[in-house]
Amino acid sequence: MSDPRTDPAAGRPTVLIIEDEAEIRKFLKSTLAAHDFVPVEAENGRTGLRQWVLAPPDVVLLDLGLPDMEGTDLIREVREWSRTPIIVLSARTQEASKIEALEIGADDYLTKPFAAGELIARIRVALRHSRRAIATETAPYDYDGLVVDLDGRRVQIDGVDVHLTPIEFKLLSALVRHAGRVLTHSQLLKEIWGKHSLENNNYLRIHTQHLREKLKDDPLSPRFIITEPGIGYRLKQ
Amino acid sequence: MSADPTRPDPDKLLNLVNQDRSVSGRGRLKVFFGASAGVGKTFAMLSEAQRLAAEGRDVVIGVIEHHGRSDTAALIDGLQRLPMADIEHRGIKLKEFDLDGALKRKPGLILIDEFAHSNAPGSRHPKRWQDVEELIDNGIDVFTTINVQHLESVNDMVAQLTGIWVQETVPDQIFDKADEIALIDIPSDDLLKRLAEGKVYVAEGANTRAAENFFKKTNLNALREMALRRMAERVDAESDELNAAMGVKETPIGQKILVLVGHDALTTRLIRHGRRMAVRAKAPWVALYLQTARHERLGNRARMRVETNLQLAEKLGAEVVRIAVSDPLPHILSYARTNGFSRIVVGHRHRPAWLRVLRPSLANQLIEAGAGIEITTITEDGSTRNLFTHRDRPDFSPYVARPLHYLYAAAGVAISTLIGLPLRAMTPADNLTMIYLVGVVFVAVWFGIGPSMFASLASVLAFNFFFTLPYYTLAFDDTHYYITFAVMLITSLAVGSLAARVSLHARQSRQSEHETRILYGLTRGLSSVRGFEAMANVAVTHLADSYQLRLRFWVPNGSGFDSYPEQEAGNALAEADLKELSAVHWVAHNAQTAGRQTDTMPSARGLYLPLVAENETLGVMGLTPLDDKRQFTGADFLQFETFASLMAGALQRSVRADEAARTRVESESEKLRNVLLSSLSHDLRTPLTVMNGGLSTLLRMRKKLPREAVDEIASLWSQLDRLQKFVANLLNMAAITSGRMSLNFQPYLIQEIIGAAIQRVQSQKQDRQITTTIVGQLPMVMIDGALIEQVLINLIENAIAHTADDGTIMLTVERDADRVRVRISDDGEGLPPGEEDRIFDKFHTARRAGPAASDQLSPDRLPPDRLTSDRQGHGTGLGLAICRGIIQAHDGIIYARNNSDDPSGKGGTGSGKGASFIFTLPTADLAAKSP
Repeated sequence: MSDPRTDPAAGRPTVLIIEDEAEIRKFLKSTLAAHDFVPVEAENGRTGLRQWVLAPPDVVLLDLGLPDMEGTDLIREVREWSRTPIIVLSARTQEASKIEALEIGADDYLTKPFAAGELIARIRVALRHSRRAIATETAPYDYDGLVVDLDGRRVQIDGVDVHLTPIEFKLLSALVRHAGRVLTHSQLLKEIWGKHSLENNNYLRIHTQHLREKLKDDPLSPRFIITEPGIGYRLKQ
Repeated sequence: MSADPTRPDPDKLLNLVNQDRSVSGRGRLKVFFGASAGVGKTFAMLSEAQRLAAEGRDVVIGVIEHHGRSDTAALIDGLQRLPMADIEHRGIKLKEFDLDGALKRKPGLILIDEFAHSNAPGSRHPKRWQDVEELIDNGIDVFTTINVQHLESVNDMVAQLTGIWVQETVPDQIFDKADEIALIDIPSDDLLKRLAEGKVYVAEGANTRAAENFFKKTNLNALREMALRRMAERVDAESDELNAAMGVKETPIGQKILVLVGHDALTTRLIRHGRRMAVRAKAPWVALYLQTARHERLGNRARMRVETNLQLAEKLGAEVVRIAVSDPLPHILSYARTNGFSRIVVGHRHRPAWLRVLRPSLANQLIEAGAGIEITTITEDGSTRNLFTHRDRPDFSPYVARPLHYLYAAAGVAISTLIGLPLRAMTPADNLTMIYLVGVVFVAVWFGIGPSMFASLASVLAFNFFFTLPYYTLAFDDTHYYITFAVMLITSLAVGSLAARVSLHARQSRQSEHETRILYGLTRGLSSVRGFEAMANVAVTHLADSYQLRLRFWVPNGSGFDSYPEQEAGNALAEADLKELSAVHWVAHNAQTAGRQTDTMPSARGLYLPLVAENETLGVMGLTPLDDKRQFTGADFLQFETFASLMAGALQRSVRADEAARTRVESESEKLRNVLLSSLSHDLRTPLTVMNGGLSTLLRMRKKLPREAVDEIASLWSQLDRLQKFVANLLNMAAITSGRMSLNFQPYLIQEIIGAAIQRVQSQKQDRQITTTIVGQLPMVMIDGALIEQVLINLIENAIAHTADDGTIMLTVERDADRVRVRISDDGEGLPPGEEDRIFDKFHTARRAGPAASDQLSPDRLPPDRLTSDRQGHGTGLGLAICRGIIQAHDGIIYARNNSDDPSGKGGTGSGKGASFIFTLPTADLAAKSP
């Protein structure tokens, strides 16, 4: 069990930046370098794909509006052969394209303009997830009094066992497995009711509400489950 | 085409299924069919209705005539009865089926007795079966009853059999269109027994005798046979239809039947006979009318009869063809041969022997010449002769000679004589016959064949009187004058009739040239103007005088109709008349012609035609003859339809052109807007992101920087934040005002959205308290989550901007009937009095100046009050306008008030200080109720 970050042989994680704006690339590059990442730049989709194949990165930052191709098309193509985490950079008003990107395989999104700290935090979450996926290790989730043991199917809040219905547990485990990352409504529906679910968002809201009640999580000032209006939910990490 | 003829045709099958299941949205029609009164149709209909009502169908009774029969009356119990409508006709109150009431009630199934009933004058439709049609069109199922004698096609047979002409008939096509026909049949003896027991209703009074005659066993047997035969035809047709759909080949008979239509009463029998032959042979049939020169000489009544005959043929399912020809015989034969008719049905009237030799009847001529074609002749009998008069008195159509014309003819002869007299001495008398001939030609050209023949005769007499020795007597010396007279008579008759015919043709072609010119003028006129009003004026200019009509057009305008041309004051006659206007409504709704001389509202003064283009009714054209006694002819109807289609075409072109122009402008400005928006968004965001990133990196290193630098960075940071919000608001506002913002409605718990919004303003609130109170249980709201989050953020930021650093901001959420109400109160400075509504306007409207938003961008030009939403932070004045746009898009309301104005102090901070912003959102239940 070697952590690449502590293993000098593994080197520092590489981050591929696919972004057409030179200024933003410059800013991303300096920020990433300052936080011990190795930035690799690409100014359009094609160059990005070539970089990706030549030197597979650990994380990809992808701007959705590229000059030569749609960012979503790039995600679709890449997801056929790569599981490298993708963080989408997009404008605030583009809810629909964000959801689309998430559903076809992007791991997270950042709304421009964003702060450097936010960016670094998201990259770390993405890295942790990809490493966990490789290790197929399911470490128990433990955050602010909420402990979830997926293997043991145990949920504790402030040291007290919480009893969840099967659907609530499925919902929580989906959030835990992607902790820190946003899950869209339809991704959650699929996780809980399967690929061809005919249930609608209404059910999702009701079950989320019940889960929140049991976790003593007030939606007005959420402790664990954060609402991303128009997109989905994210579990704090 | 399909290689395998036995393969089922899916389209046809689907058609059958659709007819079957009324997928079309039409109601189903079931007909209870019997041979005569008293067989128990109404009873059977009510029994079935009772059964369906017991199964929970929504059954109502429209009309039931139980004629006091107790067993029938008992079955009415428990079914809802629609009240009848009162129709007043010439002071008499009549009860009629209330069609509008039934349409309003919209039952699942309605029972309507007596399918063939004629409605009281003044009803919408003259016939009850038309009421039924309208009910079915509106998706209502109908049960009805009918006796066989009321079917159009057997009408004449019934008359021959019983001597009674049944006036109330239903077209066979309507009967055949019924989804289901139930034959109610009892043996004639049983019926006679029921009659004897008084169980059969017999009309009272004068008709009793006729009714007694009617209910004879021979009659009943014959009627029963007719009914059974008709039912068999129906079953046969159904199985054919199914066979055709299943791909079973029909036995090819290849018959085609041609019925020659005339203007006499015999024609109705020809048509009925033709139909029966056609149905039995499963053959298509055509009713042909030949418009010969003779047609022009027919009186109006005869012409109308031609139209009635053709309408009858159409009702009975014939294809109607009119051909204008000079000589009927060769045209009939060539039409029949080229179109493959195997049989011609023609009428034959008895005529004296000498006439038969001189002018053989058309039937005889056809038998002589029509080799290879079966000719069926129908001869006249008493039944038709008595019903109509064959002779039509000449009336005063332009081509028919009036008595005055004979006077003119006489005058023509007199003139010829006067010219001849001075020449008598100079030239042999024989030469002077030529002068008379010239006179006859003129008379023929001007006054037609009758006067010319009269003039011929008169000329011979005058010649004899004035020009043969001895003068001034009708005696003559020279015997060769016999020959002169004979030649003169024959020549003048021949020349006269020839000239008359040529002149008639010339007149006809002048007439049709005139019509063509009017049409051409209309078409040109219509294509040169835009807009309906101008078009209506063009039509009036071209048509009104030429056709002696008053022309009006109606175009639906959402709530009612605009009528063109604009009504001049004091001439509101047609508008005031409700009947005319209701005809207009009916035509617009049903896309069918109505009014004068039609089946629908025939008592209206005007004739109303729909303007239909590509299955869309664009308006209604109304034609009112200046002379109210005028009868429109079939040719008139054809002309009017041509006008209507021309108008509809022009109207549609103009509508399309307007639409296309508007769409082009819209799409271009939309494109421009989108390009501007996305480039603005991109161009502004990029530097902002870079600055944001750079500043946050610098802030992270603040411990290594001098204190002044850190202060500068902090100030830059806050200005940058303000700029970012401004850009976001600007883009949001542009999206909202473009009206093209598509909302992603989802059910949400409002708490989730409030929680997310509060998270987003954490960094700005400093020491302010933000509290949220939820009153009671809240239903889910149906909203676009991201947009409502934006509304909350804008309102909370606005509150933050107008409260002290340690102020309080209170959110209160409660249910309000079908909506959820959110109130955001602060304890800040409050709103400028009187500005509570204007604060939601965009900044430039508040200042009543500034044509473009771009002028307003510089912050220093913003007025220093709350109108601009917030002066400390991100002041653009757009935040509240965005809120209003979003809330309105959610069908909600948003308003603001000062807490001091709120007497209850509810939801405020209790101190009477500050302002409250309130908005409502639809609940998910409400959204589900009104899709």
